[in-house]
Amino acid sequence: MTLALAVEHLGIAGSATELTASALRQSLETVLMEAALDLHFEQHPDARPSLGDVAVALAQQDGFVLAEGPDEILRAALEVQDRHPAADADDVLLWVEAQRAARSAA
Amino acid sequence: MRYVALDNEAVQALFDPRHRKHVIVSAHIVAVAGRRRRNVETKVVVPTSVRVQAGWDRKHRDSAALNLLRVLDLPLDTATADRAALLRRTTGVSVADCHLGAVLQELSQGGEVAVITSDPADIARVAGNGNIRIVQV
Repeated sequence: MTLALAVEHLGIAGSATELTASALRQSLETVLMEAALDLHFEQHPDARPSLGDVAVALAQQDGFVLAEGPDEILRAALEVQDRHPAADADDVLLWVEAQRAARSAA
Repeated sequence: MRYVALDNEAVQALFDPRHRKHVIVSAHIVAVAGRRRRNVETKVVVPTSVRVQAGWDRKHRDSAALNLLRVLDLPLDTATADRAALLRRTTGVSVADCHLGAVLQELSQGGEVAVITSDPADIARVAGNGNIRIVQV
């Protein structure tokens, strides 16, 4: 019901079925992609990028300002991973932004 | 929609675990997977001419792992070929990069685009003025 209302009033898809199918496809493709990457890194452990590498890549894709170069993000990745082993690249960039905000407020 | 496009060397690096840029390009793919996990619709794309230049034959057995990464082919259709031909005439860069440039211009009209490339100067010449981030690897 909520889904149908969202489709009707927000115009986010042609129908509730289309929206559901699209979300399901996106989800399945992501699972496949992650499974392929996991398999690849199991076979080639040296090829696995660190959390810092992934955070730097994400920052570059997003146009995140690398004021201090990648070192700031690589340092932040180590700090975040130390406390939160399951953290992802977005968590690292959020931590970098929080630290920047704290520094500029000080 | 967000797109991450690959150039020739990015494809080659992704293809070969011994390539010196393999980890860096893999990091970009892992970053995309992470974004998708957060429900940000993001696609990795490769113009088919770039795939030709990089020697990526999807039917070859060595391509099996790469084929699983959901990298979407963007073909050289009539409209894209016209745009690429114009770029080729005005910039003189390679056919594959002109196809990439035409694709970047097209995609940037409907979303954010990042292009992973070893040749940012050539890509800047063909990418146009859209919302395109050129990421050097």
